Amino acid sequence: MSRRARILAGTAGALALAALPLVVKNTFFLHVCILVFMWTVLGAAWNVLGGFAGQVSFGHAALFAIGSYATIILFLKAGIAPWWGIPLGGVAAAGLSVPIGLLCFRLRGPYFSLATLAVAELARLVALNWEWLTNGPIGFLITTLPPLQILGYSVDWESKLPFYALAAFLMMAALLSTAWLRQSRLGAFLAAIREDEDAAEAVGIDTVRSKVVTLALSGFLAGLGGGFYAFYFRYVDPDAVLSIGLSMEMVFIAMVGGLGTVGGPLIGAVFLTTVGEAVRERFQVGHLVFYGLFMMLVIRFLPEGIWGRVLRLLARVQARVQRHGAA
Amino acid sequence: METFVQSLVSGVLMGALYAMIGIGLTVIFGVMRIINLAHGEMVMVGMFGAFWSQTLWGLDPFLSILLWAPVMFVGGMLLYRFLLRKIIPGGELNTLLYTAGLSLLVANLALLAWTGDYRTITLAYTQAPMRPLGIAVPGALAIGFGVAVVVTVALWLFLGRTDMGRAIRATSQNPEAAVLMGVDVERVAVVAFGLGTALAGAAGVLLAPSLYLYPTVGELLIVKSFVIVVLGGLGSVPGAIAGGLLLGVAESLGAVYVSSTYKDGIGYVIFLLVLLYRPSGLFGVGKR
Repeated sequence: MSRRARILAGTAGALALAALPLVVKNTFFLHVCILVFMWTVLGAAWNVLGGFAGQVSFGHAALFAIGSYATIILFLKAGIAPWWGIPLGGVAAAGLSVPIGLLCFRLRGPYFSLATLAVAELARLVALNWEWLTNGPIGFLITTLPPLQILGYSVDWESKLPFYALAAFLMMAALLSTAWLRQSRLGAFLAAIREDEDAAEAVGIDTVRSKVVTLALSGFLAGLGGGFYAFYFRYVDPDAVLSIGLSMEMVFIAMVGGLGTVGGPLIGAVFLTTVGEAVRERFQVGHLVFYGLFMMLVIRFLPEGIWGRVLRLLARVQARVQRHGAA
Repeated sequence: METFVQSLVSGVLMGALYAMIGIGLTVIFGVMRIINLAHGEMVMVGMFGAFWSQTLWGLDPFLSILLWAPVMFVGGMLLYRFLLRKIIPGGELNTLLYTAGLSLLVANLALLAWTGDYRTITLAYTQAPMRPLGIAVPGALAIGFGVAVVVTVALWLFLGRTDMGRAIRATSQNPEAAVLMGVDVERVAVVAFGLGTALAGAAGVLLAPSLYLYPTVGELLIVKSFVIVVLGGLGSVPGAIAGGLLLGVAESLGAVYVSSTYKDGIGYVIFLLVLLYRPSGLFGVGKR
């Protein structure tokens, strides 16, 4: 797509998002939209590192958990409202990403992936056992949200609308920041690192620094998603926010949507949420069966992901049109 | 002193079973350069195999290794031949993600079929611990240890003395040279994957009477098996044996002297330290 077409599409998308809750009043539908937006943020967070830089993390649940614990602890223990807590949670996750990155990025490829798995498991053990801070296995529950006035109207926390608006905003921010990253200097470094790390180093790219900065950006987005999760579901415990399953869901969204694409996580999130909600109704346990199955099928038959394939087909059509136009 | 000896002994017993899982992973890695994230699920399948053959058919769990090891061997070969082989040319990250998907699939199929309940296997003849030299040794673990030693020695002889064993070692040392020497690398890969899976399954059978059984136990075991092979050096069989024993002892001593709640964390900390400072393993024989 050309630059102008992309800006047009983005604006049209944003307007459609704003108009949607005015047209559709169904609460369940809004709930599904909120989940899609939240998962898009998380998929984009993973994709920044896994898709753009080619660094596969199996421990992103840890960054998500830092965001959600920060938001809920700041609110319950320090009285800081969640809408301030969410960005603070993102900052906390980004901050902790730096030491994690400096540690794990000494390793490459599959070794890096294994190290992130170990970091996430360690984080889970800490959350389970450091009761003074995390309340251990019991976790935290928000019973009432503080009142908020916007333009003279008081916000109704029992309706889905405020959460819809916030989630849509976070999603736009996540998609815009990945779009920016892709055309930035750092994005070019990351593509070089993904394709051949030794060559990237040989041409003078500070690979560790590029990767750490990217992990911090990824951690910031994952922390925002985690903070939103705590705000929306009002409940945080180690099982909910620190499971391997959660890390895998982020991988799944980016993979199915299309690694290293801007729009991929949105497609992946729609897919995950609709399939997830459909099978969750039928199977109380084991709905991750389908995630595992789809992941295997996508890698086998569609390694570029759904959005990646669509983009390639579009490019082919465009090339054909141009050729015919010239002739 | 007595607690020290006690936990040292149970650490070594557990460590031999860990080593078996680690050898399976390291043989697969050595030949195919695949990090099989579904390895823990193979152990889980072995554990449930032992459980069901005892519950349904009254088969002794330790004897059922004679049934489940060959079944897992064939299963592993089929898995490699029909599912994994086509993925490998796509690169190591694709393979890693693919086996991650496989691990989710197997664990959650087990969750659907058998629910998330914790199960145990109780054996009449291992209720009372054995007491050689005044040290209490859990009976089930001691028998498991004995069988694991026999299996490991048999594997050692297989790798050292048979043509197939030599071909496996040759391929993991240098695949290109192995091809030039007339080794059918594709066949070696199929056998090695079957062998690795069978070892994981057999270790699961032996562990079943000593651990809780639940479908997601693989998550815990996979991280442990990575600790083991990274400790010993990826691709090295003696390294995996040493790594398994070390992890068993470290966990068992750590549970007594450090903290029992952080027992599973000890392995992760060792893992990160080794990855950072000795990425080719404690003995420097691993491949990167």
